[in-house]
Amino acid sequence: MEPLSWFEIITRVLLQFMPVWISLIALFTLSIVYKRRLGLYGKLFDSTIGMIGFALVMFWVFTGIFGALDMIITHDPLSQLSGMKNKLPGTPLPRPDEGQYPYYLFGGDNLARDVFSRMVKGAWIVVQIAPLATLFAFMVGITLGLPAGYYGGRLDTLLSFFANLILAFPVILLFYLLVTPEIVETGIPSYMATVLFVFPLIFVGVLLNSRYKTQPKVRTPLLFAVLGILGWLYLSLISEAGSKVSVLPGFLDLFDIPAGILVVFVSVVFVNSPTVFRIVRGLAMDIKTRDYVAAAQTRGEGPWYIMLWEILPNARGPLIVDFCLRIGYTTILLGTLGFFGLGLSPESPDWGTTINDGRRLLQIYLHPAIVPAVALLSMVLGLNLLADGLREESLRD
Amino acid sequence: MTDSYDGPILEIDQLSISFFTRLREIPAVMDFSVKVMPGEAVGLVGESGCGKSTVALGVMQDLGKNGRIVDGSIKFKGRNLNEMSQEELRQIRGSEIAMIYQEPMASLNPAMKIGKQLMEVPMIHRGSSEKEAYDRALQVVTDVKLPDPKRILDSYPHQLSGGQQQRIVIAMALMAEPSLLILDEPTTALDVTVEAAVVELVKELGKKYGTSMLFISHNLGLVLETCDRICVMYSGEAVERGSIKDVFDEMQHPYTQALFRSIPLPGADKNAAPLRAIPGNFPLPHERPPGCNFGPRCDYFEAGRCDAQDIPMQPVPGNDRHATRCLKFQEIDWNAPLAKSDITEKPEPGRVVLKMDDLKKYYEVAANALFGKRGDTKVVKANETLSFEARESETLAIVGESGCGKSTFAKVLMGLETATEGQILLDNRNIESTAIEDRDTQTVADVQMVFQNPFDTLNPSMTVGRQIIRALEVFGIGNSDGERRKRMLQLLDLVKLPRAFADRMPRQLSGGQKQRVGIARAFAGNARIVVADEPVSALDVSVQAAVTDLLMEIQREQKTTLLFISHDLSIVRYLADRVMVMYLGHVVELGSTDQVFSPPYHPYTEALLSAVPIADTRVKKKHIVLEGDIPSAMNPPSGCPFQTRCRWKSQVPGGLCEKEVPPVRQLGDGHQVKCHLSDAELASMEPVIQIAAE
Ligand SMILES: Nc1ncnc2c1ncn2[C@@H]1O[C@H](COP(=O)(O)OP(=O)(O)O)[C@@H](O)[C@H]1O
Ligand code: SF4
Ligand code: SF4
Ligand SMILES: [Mg+2]
Repeated sequence: MEPLSWFEIITRVLLQFMPVWISLIALFTLSIVYKRRLGLYGKLFDSTIGMIGFALVMFWVFTGIFGALDMIITHDPLSQLSGMKNKLPGTPLPRPDEGQYPYYLFGGDNLARDVFSRMVKGAWIVVQIAPLATLFAFMVGITLGLPAGYYGGRLDTLLSFFANLILAFPVILLFYLLVTPEIVETGIPSYMATVLFVFPLIFVGVLLNSRYKTQPKVRTPLLFAVLGILGWLYLSLISEAGSKVSVLPGFLDLFDIPAGILVVFVSVVFVNSPTVFRIVRGLAMDIKTRDYVAAAQTRGEGPWYIMLWEILPNARGPLIVDFCLRIGYTTILLGTLGFFGLGLSPESPDWGTTINDGRRLLQIYLHPAIVPAVALLSMVLGLNLLADGLREESLRD
Repeated sequence: MTDSYDGPILEIDQLSISFFTRLREIPAVMDFSVKVMPGEAVGLVGESGCGKSTVALGVMQDLGKNGRIVDGSIKFKGRNLNEMSQEELRQIRGSEIAMIYQEPMASLNPAMKIGKQLMEVPMIHRGSSEKEAYDRALQVVTDVKLPDPKRILDSYPHQLSGGQQQRIVIAMALMAEPSLLILDEPTTALDVTVEAAVVELVKELGKKYGTSMLFISHNLGLVLETCDRICVMYSGEAVERGSIKDVFDEMQHPYTQALFRSIPLPGADKNAAPLRAIPGNFPLPHERPPGCNFGPRCDYFEAGRCDAQDIPMQPVPGNDRHATRCLKFQEIDWNAPLAKSDITEKPEPGRVVLKMDDLKKYYEVAANALFGKRGDTKVVKANETLSFEARESETLAIVGESGCGKSTFAKVLMGLETATEGQILLDNRNIESTAIEDRDTQTVADVQMVFQNPFDTLNPSMTVGRQIIRALEVFGIGNSDGERRKRMLQLLDLVKLPRAFADRMPRQLSGGQKQRVGIARAFAGNARIVVADEPVSALDVSVQAAVTDLLMEIQREQKTTLLFISHDLSIVRYLADRVMVMYLGHVVELGSTDQVFSPPYHPYTEALLSAVPIADTRVKKKHIVLEGDIPSAMNPPSGCPFQTRCRWKSQVPGGLCEKEVPPVRQLGDGHQVKCHLSDAELASMEPVIQIAAE
């Protein structure tokens, strides 16, 4: 068979993404029709920039989801086909089996795997880890930033000092340290995970307690139930048989996170939360001077109720915008980690690792590195545009 | 700028301005005409959102991206501004028309020294040399009566007080010797005595330079004091236009009349002659009624006539350039006395519920924030020996300008801060050193507060109902959610809001409605003492009356003790039983309303009374302008706190005022002042406000 021309490649790729196009069109039609009822999300559809950003982001989200369902991919991302090593985009398979897709659309990498399928599979990893890790970073940043801004004084000085200390630490060095076998041996990453992941627990506990304090009958069972479940999840998350932190007996341990991913999580949370901390602190300092905060104080509300129910909801605009931007940074960070071969397994199809693999032969074969690079770029660009759109729209009216 | 033009400086003819939003066109100004002659000052009054600022921005041709002049013309010295090129406009804006905004910092560059900013004006527009520009800057800074002009020129904006900044902005506007000065609420952000001085200055400079002025304000009293002519706006239209005297004394439009009836002029009395709020609400620009915009709220509305046609502006025969937008102005009997509304009994003050005894609150602040060592602190005396009693059903007004310690006092009373010395007795229990978290629920519920800024008083992310229910939960009222919801609806009834508001978000409410929710929240735990911190000062006059009346009504029913903090002496005179005047942490005068409002005064009270603009042409005021600003509490003057601005100081022998804090002097019947003046001097004081006999 002849190799595909560029035009054919593009047509076939577009065709391959069909489920994504359908989902995008459905999502946009629905959103635009009901945009007046959808609050800030709906307003996004008044801004061209925001819409483009949202489309880019959702493209990768849908790609990730469908990819995870093995829908868009043309080949198994890990299997190697002999004769396809470093082949150019559009190269036909030498001996296609029955039902096998007869081309490597974006060519093959140096292990003769399909670049296109790896890119699609990689999207799922990025789409999963980046928002979740960012969410954790936000929980930590918010839980510490609110009291720093609200109380001020010594507490603020102390916390801000630590935040600055972490921000001043070279990130890459930190990652290297965290994944060095000797350090892993001492259990430091596991202990850090133990500390960092407790924050969501504190956050939710305080949130519910302050809200329902006046109704002990509702509060106590609610707190028990929610904290029980979260606590279990938390313990399952941090405890791993054989590692330094092994608190749960195996049969209670719901799931194990691969050590690599855990380190990625810890690193991302660790380097992002100081920045979130500073933003939240600044917002809290501003909002605490409002009269509704004074009104809450004069009716004797506790400090955590004020922080979480009077201050935090009114800081949400800037926080949502920052959340989008920060997912973008995290995506890049994941890429960087993968690029340095840190964290995820070397087999992993995530974009950073793939770019790193392709790097070695970059001078001869461009495509194995360029494809994931473009994917990463478009996703981060989308997140930035989305953040811009949200900011613009939330400032209006 | 000398030219031979002698027609009107500004002539706005049938101007219509619209804003175009995603949803619709918002007509902000419709069919608006006004003429400003050389040297004339024209006042533009109306409630917020009626289009005053839009007119001003229209003249500046600065309507932003979505605003557009859809009809009519704006002629400046006979030339149509709409048809000028950007270049010509820039030239005119810089040198012939100057605008002064409410917020002085909006017009100043925070990173540039005052002198440099001022000198730029002639250097850019006139190509003056640096030397000339500097001399001119020095000249105008002296003109706007700033002390030590050389030092001022060498300082940055943030080193000046708000009053001084506004003077600089005025100086900057004058640098170019414009022929037209537009002032958009130039003094709203300032204290009363500072406002009086700035207004005085504007008037004087207008005369000196022969500048014409368009003075935008929501304060009728201020317009009376500054302007020659007035234009009243309502919902995007001019409704009445004429000379000050014609409009104030022979008003020809029901809205103007209603406006005057809703402000507390001397003679208004909360029991015998209560204010009349304008019923209903201001229509939103896209929900205006057919025909007369004021129709739905007008006492003289006639169906089939007032709502059947567009109402044109009609000249009032016999008066000079007096016009009104009312069909029935010749049929209405403008002199008919107000139908006597329900006169209420003056409630007798009951037993003493709150007693302050020599209360002191000092703050320690580090003298140097960064390298402050222990002991290196300064003491700010925010409240100095406060003593008074407040009784059940009594309204005690606390009057003073910013920094006088009103808010600190409120904080100590509420328990957000604890007192340094002295005692607060609530029903004979000491609460001065019990912080709010240690107070029992009943005490917390008993002492509540209504806040000043309606846009800040409610949590923007929570429904109105939820916020009231939260207060009920905290105060332990009601046993179930259902009970609390019922009680919440009753509270909405109490503050006369529709029950449907329970599920609304605060942003869907107007300022007055938000303030009502704030009141409902304060009364959720059946508060017995309510501290109202300037509860109406941020509201429009017509809404002020309604909210004030509501407070009075609830007070009558619930026998609440109301501590009414305000700087507006007109409203204080209207509703207070007793008045306490504060200055820099000291109570300088305390007495019944009559005692405080008639001589003998404390010198500060006298100045304050003279500073408050009163929208009544019959009122003759003594003219007392205070020099300078309020000293900072960080750095109070020695001796009497008021000595830096007091005009009576020279009457006290031996420089005593500068050496010793005056003692509290009892003048009989519970009237007390803190002043060194001798009895004879005090007795010689003349009333500040006199109403000329009709
Ligand atoms: N940029 C804008 N976009 C849309 N509507 C506006 C804009 N500026 C003002 N408006 C509307 O125009 C009306 C008049 O506003 P304004 O001139 O500011 O009133 P005022 O100065 O009398 O308070 C208001 O209803 C306001 O909501
Ligand atoms: S036209 Fe009719 S509704 Fe309008 S102000 Fe006159 S009397 Fe009132
Ligand atoms: S004590 Fe002296 S300075 Fe103070 S108010 Fe009386 S006269 Fe004025
Ligand atoms: Mg305005």
